[in-house]
Parts: sequence; structure tokens; C-alpha cells
Amino acid sequence: MSISAAEFRAKTGLEPKRQGPLVTVARLLGPDAKLGYLFVLPTVVLVLALVAYPFCYAIYLSMTRKYVGVPPVFVGLDNYIKLTHDGFFQRAVINSFVFTFGSVGVKLVLGMVMALVLTSAIRFRSFWTGVLLIPWVAPTVVSALNFLWIFDYSLGVLNYLLVKVFHLLPQGVGWLSEPKTAMLSVIGVNIWRGFPFFGISFLAGLKAIPVEMYEAAAVDGAGPVRRFIHVTLPGIRNILIIVMLLSTIWTFNDFQIVYILTKGGPGGATQVLPVFTYEIAFGAQRLGEAIAVALYMLPAMAAVIIVLARYMRKGRK
Amino acid sequence: MDRRLNNLAAQLDAGLVSRREFLRRAAVITGGTAAGLTVLNSMATAQSSTKLRVWLFKSFVTAGNDVLEKQVQNWAKDRKVTVETDWATFGDREQKFVAAIEAGNPPDIAEMNILGPMRYKAALKDVTRTASDIAAARGGMLPFADRAMKLDGKYYGVPRYSMTTVFYIRKDIMEAKGLKPPTVYDPGVVEFAKKTQDPAKDLYGFGQTLNRSDDGDGFMGNILWDYGGGVWDKEGKPALATTFHDQNLKALQFAVDTITKHKIQPPGVMGWTDVSNNEAFMAGKLVTTNNGASLYYAMVAKKHELAPKTLLVLTPGGPAGSFVGASCYNWGIFQKSKYAELGEDLIRYMEEEDHFAEYMKVSVGQAGPVYKKRAEDPYWKSDPNFGAILQNILRSVPSGYPGPMTPASVEVGAQHTLTDMAGRVVTAGISPEAALKEAHARVEEIYKARRT
Repeated sequence: MSISAAEFRAKTGLEPKRQGPLVTVARLLGPDAKLGYLFVLPTVVLVLALVAYPFCYAIYLSMTRKYVGVPPVFVGLDNYIKLTHDGFFQRAVINSFVFTFGSVGVKLVLGMVMALVLTSAIRFRSFWTGVLLIPWVAPTVVSALNFLWIFDYSLGVLNYLLVKVFHLLPQGVGWLSEPKTAMLSVIGVNIWRGFPFFGISFLAGLKAIPVEMYEAAAVDGAGPVRRFIHVTLPGIRNILIIVMLLSTIWTFNDFQIVYILTKGGPGGATQVLPVFTYEIAFGAQRLGEAIAVALYMLPAMAAVIIVLARYMRKGRK
Repeated sequence: MDRRLNNLAAQLDAGLVSRREFLRRAAVITGGTAAGLTVLNSMATAQSSTKLRVWLFKSFVTAGNDVLEKQVQNWAKDRKVTVETDWATFGDREQKFVAAIEAGNPPDIAEMNILGPMRYKAALKDVTRTASDIAAARGGMLPFADRAMKLDGKYYGVPRYSMTTVFYIRKDIMEAKGLKPPTVYDPGVVEFAKKTQDPAKDLYGFGQTLNRSDDGDGFMGNILWDYGGGVWDKEGKPALATTFHDQNLKALQFAVDTITKHKIQPPGVMGWTDVSNNEAFMAGKLVTTNNGASLYYAMVAKKHELAPKTLLVLTPGGPAGSFVGASCYNWGIFQKSKYAELGEDLIRYMEEEDHFAEYMKVSVGQAGPVYKKRAEDPYWKSDPNFGAILQNILRSVPSGYPGPMTPASVEVGAQHTLTDMAGRVVTAGISPEAALKEAHARVEEIYKARRT
């Protein structure tokens, strides 16, 4: 027996569903849609106010001639064009890359060594883990000021040990007074401070690799090196990439170590972009150009961030 | 957590309200509380008394800082107003000013250095009346102070004191060698240093960094003037590798030679910061150095064994004379201040002679005169070492000399252009001629940028 639609509605009490795009959206979002907007709103406002607005304003300011206390004057891409031809800026870019890749490369190796040692059967493992984390935990300013003293030519402990205690050198080294040693010194301090982050991250990754995989590899005749290459490295691949990318971003933007140890000297030999930005902003007080310096490398950093975000999403899946 | 939210959470746990109902009520409670707090805040603000925000300069002379704070608070007590003091020092002063001005929240009154009026003119109030009154009662301003504080015929800072550099000599070593203080760098300081130093014992004749620092930039500016050169000509145009090319080249060569040829400086000197020469001198590793009076204060205050063995003399010069960059700490009042008259009153109080004298005397030579009558104060004859401080102040010249002090002249120092020039020769091995031209190009860029 067939019944009409009207009879069906009368019997079941069901009305036909309303149609239209708003209704469809509301249906997709569920019954708490309006309330949901209300609760998401503070976060959206915060992101817009604290991230999006300052960022957009910074882009605008980078295209202005802006001095302290006076309104900005729009100059288009002038600041960026000038920077492109500025020898001091170019040197700061090169130094930033040397500083960043020199630091990250060594931190990767040291961090891996630290993680492998801490996963092996050593006594007082927790104690050593704590000790190795000290550089990461200590405030950068404090560490840098200590290194300033350590590297001092005549009053520093490093030359004292090398020359007077261990007699390894006939005379001290000007750690911060020669271009090459100055760059090596600031890289060294950055490595000292940053490698525990690599180590502790790798340690977490290593602990997630099932022991059975190592046992199976050993049964198959793989030695320690092959087990490292074929089990350990693939096991922490995502962590390794994420840590490297994060460290690259942080090191590229590191200001404190270079500023405290050398201020970019001697003769601009350790001038990196964050210090250059600082000098243009607070020394020269040309705020528009300073922001242009800071934003100039944004596309390169954005590429790193995009890669990082992709790996992080991948890791979550 | 708010009591009402706690109750609501308990009701949710007990299943008395739905999740949706909980969220609705929580939103109402939170919004109501926020609105209430805003009203309370505005009521509290309306009831607050006059509050003056004062930024003071914290120098290395801690006794002076204490006197400064005490006097400001005494004034506040006397005038029955509240004063909120904050400190800025060498490393963070400009950052604080930039941030506060750009945020539209500068202090009412601030103690600035010589560059303050030039840099922050757009945000500063014209204080011509106060500056003129105070100066007139003290015989007028010294020329360098007048030149640095007055812009377009108006004063944007009220001068307070000058903090200059002098030449420090280990008197005991000098006397043991039968020498007299050098009056010129070449050959005076060079010969003096060679005769007194003993590198085998880690004792060097001269300690003057050419690295990026206030000390290094100041020395490089002075030495160019000493040789008859400078960064700017009389019209304020770049002259580093043009008008004064020959003089500047000789000056640069000399500065570099102190390290590379004469070897009278410690090997690590190109890595020094502003405090390094202080530490090295107090550690007995230097025979001579250039520094402000704060080093002498530190030695006297700590009863350091080298304090009585230290002689302060006029900064040596060159073929064209002896020049020292000027310093002039000053008071500025910001345009945004609602209490400009109170600010002026505070300045007049701080500059009353008995108040300033108290500050000057605990500062052990650091608070030098900026007014003519203060230069005649007997205090400057109370210590044989003060004579050099006073004379150096009297002959000091502001940045930009022999031209006017300009934003570009200030920026050349701020960007370490001159120390980079020297550093490129000493550490990167480029020729003085090339370094001079490189630095000149930088100065031209700054000049063009500042002109527009």
C-alpha cells in the first residue's frame, strides 16, 4: 500500500528539511555553531591583534621612511632595493648563513652523540642527562657574559689554561679579536648552548624505537654502524628534520650571543642580521629600514617554516 | 576561579545542567565580570593623584645614582606629588626611549645624553625658558653644551653635567722610568708606551680598543680631529675621503699602527668592549688608557691599590691639536606630559647649586661642568686629577665638528662606522686607503638617508 507525502508527514510528524546555503553550513557545523563562534572569537581576536596586525604593520613600516617620533613616509620598495646593494647588509647575510649552518651542523652531531651515549648502559644516566641540559637551561645572557670573560685575551680562563696550565700554546689566542676566531667563538657558544636540545629530542625519539628492531637487525648480522644507519636514523627521521629546522630558525635569529660577545666586530666580521637590524633600529633609529632588514630573509625563513609545518603534520598522522 | 563558575562546573558534573547550558551561563558570567572590572578600573584611575614619571640615567657611579634618586624623592615629598622613577643606562637607554616614544607613552621627564635633544626632538617640549633661566644664573652655558642642546634656535634639553674621557697613566711606572706625561700620540704616547711596557710580564704600554664600542668610536673620532681631519666638513657634508682625505688617512694609519706596527697594545685589544680597558688597567696590565672618570671613581671607591698610583692627564693630541668628543647629560620634558610645569620645577630643583654640588661631589669627577660658573667651583681643584677632567671638558667638541651636530653625524657613531674602518684594516687586512673609501661610502649613504 502506498501513501502520499502528506499522509506520511501526518503519520510521522516529520516536516521536510529546510534548504539553502546558510542552513547547509549550519547543519555542517552542528547545533553548537553559534556558540562555537563565540568561543573561538577570543582566540581569533588574539591572533589578529598579536600576530596578524603587527606582522602586516611591520610589512607596511618596512616600506616607509620612519624615524622615531615622526609619522612614516611611504617609499615603496626603496628600503629593500637599497639593502640589496648594501655591502654591509650583504656581509651580514653571508655571516648569518655561516653562523647558522656552522652551528646547526655541529649541534646535530653533538646532539646525536649525546643521545646515543645517554641511551647506552652508563651509570648515573639521569645525573648526566641533567648535567648536559644545563647549557640549554641557563639564560643565554648569563652564558654569553661568562664566555666573554672566558675568551678574554689577558684575563680569560681559556688562554690561561692553554698557555700557563697545560702549556699547549706559547701565547694566548685573541678569541674575539680576529675575524676567524671571533666567528668560531660565537659559533662555539651557540653550539654549547644549543646541542642539548638536539640531544634530548633525539633521546626521546630513540626511546620510541622498539628494541626488537635492533635485535632483529643484530640477528641478521648488522653491526653497530649498520644498525645506526638502518634502524636508528629512520626511526628518528622526522624528529631529526623537525629539530634541525627549528634550530635553523632559532640560530638564524639569534641575537644575544653575537651582540654580547662581539657586537658584530671586529670590523664587522661577525655582523649577523639580527645585530644589524638592532643597530639600524636603535643605533641609527631608522625604523623602516630596520624592519626591512628583518623581513628581507622572510621568504627563506618562510620556506623553512613551511617544510617544518609539513613534517610536523606528517609526524602527527 | 570565580565562585559562580565553580558552582556552575559542579552543576555540570552533577548532570544538573547540559553542556550547552553550562557554556551559555559561563559566557554570561565571564562577560559580566570583565565589564565590571572595566568600570572599577576607570573609577580607580579617576581617584589617583598627580603622578610624574621620571627616567633617570644610571651611571657606574653608584653613589651619584643614590643621591639622584634621593633628591627626586625629596622634591616629590616637598611638592606633595607622586614620582615614579625608572632607570636607563648605557646599554638600554636608547631602546627604552625608542619604545616609549613609538608606543606614545614616554615619561614626563627624562635625563638624556648629548644625543637626546637631536634624536628625540620631535617628541620633546621646547624648554628654552627653563634652560635660559638656569644658564643665566650660572654665567651661561659652556659652548659645547649650548651647541648640543639648541636646535633651530630653541633648547630641547636643559644641561646638567658633562662626563668626559681623560688619559690614565700609571704614575708609579712613569716615575720609575723618569718620564713625563705625553702630550701627543705620535711620537709621545708611542715612545712612552714602548719604554714602559713589558709584554713578557703581560704589561702593555697603551690600551685603546678600535673595536665597536663607545670607547673605540670616541677614540677614532678624536684621532681624526687631532690630525686635522674629521668625518664632516664645516657645512656638515661628508669629508672622510674627500676634503680631509690626507689628514684622515694619516690618523687611521696611526691608530692601526698602535696595534700592528708599534705593538704597544695588548694582543686581544680588537675584541675589547667598553669595560675591557677598565678591567685591564685595574688588573695592572696597562700603563696608559683613555677612559671616563668612572674608572677613577671605581678605584677610589674600592680603595684600589692603584688609585694613588694613577695619574689623570689631558688626552694627548696630534698635529692639529688635542680634541675630545663632548658629553652633555641633560633634562628633557616630553610633549605628551600633562605635568610640564611640574617637570620644569623638578629641573630647577635638581639644578639648584646645593643639590647639584651634592651630586657632583659624590661623583668623583664624573659630573663635570656645563655652565661657566660651575667650572670655577673649588671642587675642581680639590684633587690633582680633576684638573685634566675639567680642561678636557672645556675644550670638548660635539659630534659633527667642525660642522654642525646633525642626525647624520650622530648616526655615523651609532653605526660604528669609524671603528669598522679601523677594524677592517687591523683584522681584515685591507689597506687604510680602501678602508677610508669604504667608510666614506657608508657616511655618504647615511648623509643621503638623513637628508631625505
